[in-house]
Amino acid sequence: MDRPELEITISKNGQVMVEIKGAKGPRCLKVADLLQEIVGREVQRRLTREYYEPDRQVRIDTEVQQRHGPH
Amino acid sequence: MSAVVVLTPIVIASWPALTAAVAGAAAAMGFAVRADQTRAADKAAASAEAEIEEAEVVAEALQPGQAVALQRDNVTIEIRQDAGGRCRVCARGTGHSKRELQALADDVAGRVVQQFVYHKLLTELQNRNGEVLHQERLADDSVRVHVRL
Repeated sequence: MDRPELEITISKNGQVMVEIKGAKGPRCLKVADLLQEIVGREVQRRLTREYYEPDRQVRIDTEVQQRHGPH
Repeated sequence: MSAVVVLTPIVIASWPALTAAVAGAAAAMGFAVRADQTRAADKAAASAEAEIEEAEVVAEALQPGQAVALQRDNVTIEIRQDAGGRCRVCARGTGHSKRELQALADDVAGRVVQQFVYHKLLTELQNRNGEVLHQERLADDSVRVHVRL
């Protein structure tokens, strides 16, 4: 699983903006909660399209059996 | 990116941790920590004050009226904890208007918070196996850090 990356910008008055990359769904929320715990007070949280993408790929295998004659 | 989070820092620190942030801010702004912390202020000089908001110094063998003084040219900056535990930044100097001193006090207060939250973030993220990939100071004096968790 890829490790999430953070692009942190701390303004000259101390306000913090963090772009969370590479963490989808609950993993992203966990990272956001951690940042709030460290810094203090969350002012805004904006989820992007990547947040809603599935974290894992699902593969479905199908098999078709053909029957001959009465049963 | 998955999300963008904006946070306002709450500074809860011991006095030594806060003075470390003050030293960092002083260095970034060209101030020197004044050797003589007890020198009397020039009462004729103009002064202005700012508060480091949402900051609380937790008592750790604190002296009442404890302060750190910085100097740059003819401007003195004093950061102290008041009786209510709030952190205040006082800018005093001759040849500067009250508005200029107020802007300077506000700037210093902000930079102290910037330094404090920068060190706290990096320490906490590195304690969680975070890896700093890149960091830089931008033209608007903000600090950008790229971390891999």
